[in-house]
Order: sequence, then structure tokens, then C-alpha cells
Amino acid sequence: MADPRARPLDDDSRRWTLLVAGVCLLPLLLQLPGPTALAIAATAVVIVALSWRKPLSVGVRMLLAITIVIAVAAQFGFNFGRDTGCAMLGAMLALKPSETTTIRDGRSLVGFALFAPFSTFLLDQGPWTLALGLTGALLGLGALQRLATLEGEMPSPGLWSPMQQALTVLAFGIPLALAIFWLFPRIGTPLWGVPDRATAKIGLSDRMSPGDWAQLLSDDTVAARAHFLGVTPPKSAMYWRGPVLSDFDGRTWRRGDNIGLGARDHVQPSRIVWTYTLEVEPTDRTQMVALDVPLAAPAGTTLSLDYSLRAARPLAALTRWRMSSSPPQVMQSQLPEPQRRRALALPRGYDPRTVALGRQLRTRLHDDRAIVQYALDWIRRDFSYSLDAPPLGRDTVDEFLFKTRIGYCEHFAGSFTLLMRAAGIPTRVVTGYVGGRWNRLGGYWMILRSDAHAWAEVWLPGRGWVRVDPTAAVAPERIYDTVGEQLGEGGVLDTLQGPNGLAQVGDWLRQNWNDMVLGFDADRQERLFAPLGLKRMTAMQLVLAFGITASLALGLMVWLTMRTPREQDPVLRAWHRLGARYTRIGLGRAPHEPATAWAERIGKAGSPTARELQELTARFTDSRYAAGVADEASARRLARDLRAHRPS
Amino acid sequence: MARFGGLRRRLLALARPRGPESLPVRFDRRRIYVLPTRFGLFFAALLAAMSVGGLNYNNNPALLMAFLLAGAAMSSLVSAQLQLSGLSVVAVDAEPVHAGRTLHLRVHTRTTDRRVRSGLKVDFDDGDTVPLALRDGTGEVVLDVATHHRGWLDIPRLRVQTTWPLGLARAWSYVWPETPVLVYPRPEALAPPLPIGSGDPAARRLHAAGDDVHHLRNYRAGDSRRAIAWKPSARRGTLLVREFEQPIGTDIDLDWRELHGLPHEVRVARLARWVEDAERDGRRYRLWLPGQPPLGPERGPAHRHACLRALALMPHG
Repeated sequence: MADPRARPLDDDSRRWTLLVAGVCLLPLLLQLPGPTALAIAATAVVIVALSWRKPLSVGVRMLLAITIVIAVAAQFGFNFGRDTGCAMLGAMLALKPSETTTIRDGRSLVGFALFAPFSTFLLDQGPWTLALGLTGALLGLGALQRLATLEGEMPSPGLWSPMQQALTVLAFGIPLALAIFWLFPRIGTPLWGVPDRATAKIGLSDRMSPGDWAQLLSDDTVAARAHFLGVTPPKSAMYWRGPVLSDFDGRTWRRGDNIGLGARDHVQPSRIVWTYTLEVEPTDRTQMVALDVPLAAPAGTTLSLDYSLRAARPLAALTRWRMSSSPPQVMQSQLPEPQRRRALALPRGYDPRTVALGRQLRTRLHDDRAIVQYALDWIRRDFSYSLDAPPLGRDTVDEFLFKTRIGYCEHFAGSFTLLMRAAGIPTRVVTGYVGGRWNRLGGYWMILRSDAHAWAEVWLPGRGWVRVDPTAAVAPERIYDTVGEQLGEGGVLDTLQGPNGLAQVGDWLRQNWNDMVLGFDADRQERLFAPLGLKRMTAMQLVLAFGITASLALGLMVWLTMRTPREQDPVLRAWHRLGARYTRIGLGRAPHEPATAWAERIGKAGSPTARELQELTARFTDSRYAAGVADEASARRLARDLRAHRPS
Repeated sequence: MARFGGLRRRLLALARPRGPESLPVRFDRRRIYVLPTRFGLFFAALLAAMSVGGLNYNNNPALLMAFLLAGAAMSSLVSAQLQLSGLSVVAVDAEPVHAGRTLHLRVHTRTTDRRVRSGLKVDFDDGDTVPLALRDGTGEVVLDVATHHRGWLDIPRLRVQTTWPLGLARAWSYVWPETPVLVYPRPEALAPPLPIGSGDPAARRLHAAGDDVHHLRNYRAGDSRRAIAWKPSARRGTLLVREFEQPIGTDIDLDWRELHGLPHEVRVARLARWVEDAERDGRRYRLWLPGQPPLGPERGPAHRHACLRALALMPHG
């Protein structure tokens, strides 16, 4: 007894399964680091070429598998995160074709391949990735269809027919799939943690050392989007506060731990309140940003002592937060002693000239405000802004302030802070984003990674922490550049033609995509029927709704599948319809009854339309059986007349 | 697999139909079974992994893909069932063969609706599968059945199955035709030659001389090769057959009683061999079996079948 699953693949089926593997692998490769992706792609091509005629031996396959596992692990520095896992999967998928000879192998290759888009979605959830992934899935169904044809020993179906059948099967499954998607109960908190990306996406980090940010500042992808409800702050006030760094060791600014610094002092908010939703792109970190000082921490986040927000878990997926912020009038009017000591700490043995200058300023000017103003004036006069800053040596601040005098925000913020501390003013570095781009299509602000910024906060008696941005002193356009970006100016066409026009449209599409597809979660699900008056669904109601909808969708699927295929010949179709109309009044044609005999029987039954029916039947039998009599035009007329006929 | 053999047999025994039934049989939802194939189980595990992963990370693209594939799989299940639903097995038949030969069982199927059916296969529970193609609503497959014993052969339970459309699920239905098929006795391999024909002695002697040619006639299909007169045929350019004078007395009597002393089954086998031999030689023969009126004398396919049938149905000794 030969197992039909062990039947060898024909060339077309093999090509097809390989195509599926390729298309499924593609989105994964696009997400992996370049060299790894290229290596995997090359491996796949070589493997397919080597094993085309006969499969590789077990020994060779084992050797290849071990080699590639080690190679991939080495590529990621033996750091087993999500990327490493995905790259491994890609590599194994590239190896799999080496043993694809039977129907069973073909199926396992397709099944395995379908896992690749899934793992890609863990890395990226963009519309293109989804489109590619779904294409792969559809081709996969086509391949399965084709293998089933082969197993059923049917003649080779060509290329299009399995695809068409796969599409049909998929289309019938869509209602059910959507019902599950919208209503299958989601879970609010994950069952297990989110695996880290081995190669971290650039985001705001807990530390800052010279030169770190060059990469971040040239990354024009969106980090967050803000929708203002009500008042929109001027762009010059859009300081999105992120990590606050108060520890400096001479090289690196660090966040330090915030525990044990005493009770958090109250902030006196001003009367201006900005309410907004912030959609944060995934970063795999817990650090969040908020406009200036948030009035409260949204659920799932905590407000640190330095008024920066941290999420309870890494922001691995797109998240949306509703927040209110206000520019503070007074922020921490009393500075507790440990915090003051910390904000005045100088690194031991670094930057002697800066420290000396600070001391000198203190003895010369006395007043804190005057010292700050002096430093800002100096920076404005003698310094310049460039992302292309020369590298700095051991005493970074000394070299920057007294030698190079060219740099970007992190140089300015870091050096200014150190100088103020030397002058005895408690100061800290704040990192975050500044400004944003107005997306006219979507009516929201895009905050790009390249908007990352660092500034300083000085503590002044009576005012508390006050924001001072030394970069704005040299390069105000960095913060205030607003050419053609004012609110509500121009139309959609201007947007398209303006700078970054297409990027804006792209991000608008992406934002909608986020809104409709990615942002759907347990919370949104519970509010799904809010328009119908059902405020929040309980788990039970959700299960019930899911059950009902899924059953309806299943019923629809069965109904769609059960329909007999549509008759292709229009005349025959019209004839069957006509028969069905007679069946409804109890005068249907018996299956064995010839058409003319049926028409006669109707006549004997005394139906008033019998004469017309007999005439139609005669024309019908002529068109069916009298070869050469009927032409296309008369067939069309006949079909039309058959359709028009109504029994009575 | 072998470990679960017992369980599997017990489960299969529960499946409908549980006994032979008369044809035609129409497959409906009560007798169509749909279960995932091994690949289907693998696929289900894959989808489960994707869904749990997607739910855990609230990864909507992953969920969307997993659910779309699940929807397609589900509709393939329905579709698989519909390949069988409404299909009828109208008849089975077979040319009788001698025991030990392969019986070619023809299974005739028909559908009443116009739905296209694909990927159908017919087999016995553990036999070779044979694809079944339907053309204009009717289809026929030939299944090979091994035969071992003479007599009525009960056809085992037939299975019509398909893994169409995606190979994820197998839909199958059993049909257990009541129609028994007759298997003729196995002819004895090394049997003695046919007994001498009976009748009056003169006629017997005449026959013993063997070549009292009455006339020559044209060859007819089914004539024995031995009877062909090669030399006259060569002269006339057409095949001629010697027709012997065949007095009544030269009919052969194949008599059960004369074979006493042989075991029961050997007697049956020898008579079966002699029936075939007599038929091959174009002789008329009469078959005597205990407790039955004699069959014949006669010759020809109908007589052969009648004799072999009687032999096949002899009570087992």
C-alpha cells in the first residue's frame, strides 16, 4: 500500500511551494539587519539550486543546519532576543527546501513558511509587511490546493485554477475570520513578557554621552503622534519631556535612580491645560514622553520624582495614551537636600577649566539668573550648531566649551548643565523631543525621532525647576523653524507639493492604519458596541456576541459554499430559472420529463400562459438540439424572452 | 499506529453503516465524517500558536492572518463535506473469477445535483485508493479484491473519501453493499484429462478414433485452436475448423459420484478444472452434482457459468 502523501512532487508543485517559501521569507528578510538578510537569501538560492535534482543527504543537511544556527547566533553576538529568533526561523526556512521531494515535504514546507510572516509581524506591523504576509498566506493556500489536487490524482490543474479555488475558500472564510477578529475576547495583559529585540530600535535612552545621538538625529521615522483636543500649544512650547538625567561621571549623563529622594513636591500648574492623545510607536523601552509636565499619570504608567513618565511594561506594540499637561508655574518650590546635592554634583577629576569658570562666575555675578543669562549670551555669541561635531577627548566639556565650540543639543545641554553646577546652581539634563510636524491631512502632529532633543533645567529659588534650552540660543530654527508649517495653511495639494509632502501622506495613511488595525485591543473591543448604547461589554456579553456572530458567519459560509455553481450558458440559466418559477406554483418539470412533454402537460392543466410557454419551449429545444439553426443573436433573444416569462 | 489499532478498529465499528445495506446509497450528513488529516492537525497547531502569540502581544496583523487562515481552513472543512454530500453509490458488480484470482469490483456512482466534485477516491479500509472522476454526474471505479475461497464473497465496507480542497481535512463516508459477489472454485492445478464421453460403445469407439471428419466449416470466435484445420486453411486462405461428428454419446459426464475417494474440496476443484477443459475443447458436457438434477449437456458461456456457479455453491465439506 503506497502512502499517497509520499508521492513525489511534480516540478510545478515544487516550484510553487518554493515560491510560497520565498514570498513568506521576503518580509522577514526586509526586517532583519542587511548582512544577515543577504546571507539568508543567498543560502536559500544556493540550497534550492543544489537540491533541485536530488535532495541533499542527511549529513549535509545536518551540517548546514548547525553551521547556519551558529552563524546567525554569532551575527547577533549570541544574544537571544526576538531578532535572533526570527533570523533563525528565516535561516531554517532557507534550508528547508533541501529536502522537499514528496507531497508531505511540500506541505510541511508550506506550513513552516506560513510561520515566517507571523514572526515578521512581531518585528513590524506596517501595512506593507501585512500585505506581503497575506500574499504569502494566499499563495500558501494555493499551494496546498495544488498539493491536494496532486494527492487526489487529478490532472495537473495549471497555475490559475488552484489560486482561484484558494481565493474562493479564503473569501468564504472571511466573514468568520472578521467575526473572530473583532469579537474573539482579547486579553488585557499579556500572558508572558515581550521578547526584546536583540538590536534595539533607536529611542530615547537612559543615558547620553557625546556623539551618541548623531544616529538618532538623522532618523526621520515617526516616534509618536499627538492629537490635540482643544488648545494646541505653540510649537515653541512643545517640549516633550522624556528621561531626566542628573548623574554625570565625566563622560556620560545617566538617569540615576529616583528612589529615596524624598516626597515629590507639588507642581503649581498654570491655567493653560493641553489635552491630547499620544500615540507612541513601539520602542521596547518603558520610557515615555509627555508634553511638558503631565497633570496625572495615565493608567499603566508612573510619574517619577523628576516628572518623567514611565510605562509599567515595555512599549513593544503601538500604544495610545490620553493625557493632560500644563506648563508649570512653579515646579518643586522646595528642593530637598539629597536632590540638591545630586543636582550640584561634579565629576571628580574632569573638566577643570569649566569648573573654574563656574566658580569664577559665581563670585563675579552672584545672582543665579544673571549667571544663566551670561552663559546663554556667551553660547549665542561664540558657538555654532552642527550635527557634524568633531570628536571630543577626555574632558569633553572643557574641549567643547574652550576648543571646538561646535556641536548639537547634547553638547550644549551637557556643557551648560555642568557649567551651572560649577557655579552652584542645581541643574539637570532633560531629554525628549521638541516640536513636531503638523500633518495637515490627518490633523495631528508627528514627532519624529530626529526631533530628539536635550535641554537643561535649572532650579531657581521661588520658581523651582525652569527650562533653559541653550541650543535654542545658537540655533533657534532648530526649535522654531516653522516655514510653511503653520496650522491650517493651504490645502491637500499644497501638502503634497510642500516639503516632505509624500512623507506626510504616507504617515497619514500609516496613522489611519494604526487607528483601524493596530490600535484595536481589549479596551477598544469592550467599547465596540458603545454606539449601540452598550457602554462596556462584560466578558460574558463579549463571549455571547462572539458566539452569535461566529455562528452567523459560519452559516453564511456554509450557504456560500453549498450554492451550486452558476450555470455558464445564459439560455440554460434562464431556462432553469423559468422552471423554478413554475415549481413555485406546483407545476414544476419532473427530472425525467422532456421539455415539450412538460409544456403540453401545463397546457392540459389549463394554465393561461401555456401557449406562450409552448412557443418558448419549442424555441428552447430548437436552440439546444437543432444544430446550426440558432445563432448568437437568437440565443440572446431567447434568453431574454425566457427571463421575461412569468407563469400564472 | 499499531498500538492504537484496537481502538481504531473499535471506533471504525461504530461508524455508519454498521452492517451491509442495499444499494443505492446516498451520502448525507449523517454518514459523512470529517476529521483533520495529520497535516490538518499540524496546521491547527500552527494557527493556535499564531493566535496565542498574537493575542499575547495584541499583535493585530498576526491575529488577522491567523484568523483568515483559520476561516479558510474552516470553509475547506465545509467544502470537503460537500464533495461527498449528495453523491450516491448506485451499484456494484463484478465478473466472477476463480478463487485466488483478483476480482475487479466496479463501483458505480452518480450525483443528482450539479455541484462539481473533486479529489474523490474510493478504497476499502486498508486497500489501494482509486481516484473517482465524475463526468456528467456519473462515475465508475474499479477496485481490486483478492479472493481466497469459493462461494459468496461479502464485499467489505467501501470508503469514499476526499482531502479536497486544502488537504487539511479528510471527509469520508462508508458504504457497505449487501450485494454479494460469487467466487468460483479454484480449478485443480494438475488434474487428469477429461473422462471419456459416455453413450453407446460404438459411438465411443468412433470418437476414440478421433478424426472422423464430417466437414469443414468457417472459424467462429471461441473455437478451440486444436480444432483448426491448418492445411486446408492454408490452401483456401481462410481459417477452417474441423467439425467432428458428435453423436449424443460423446457428451462428457462430469460426475461427482465417480470421484469418490477424493477429498471434498479436491472433487470440487477437479470438476471446476474439467468444466474449463471441456469448454476449451468445445465439448458438450453434463455436470452431476449430489442432490441436484444434472446440468446439461450443453456448452457455451452460459452453461459454463451455470456449472461453475453450482460448484461454487456446493456446501463446504
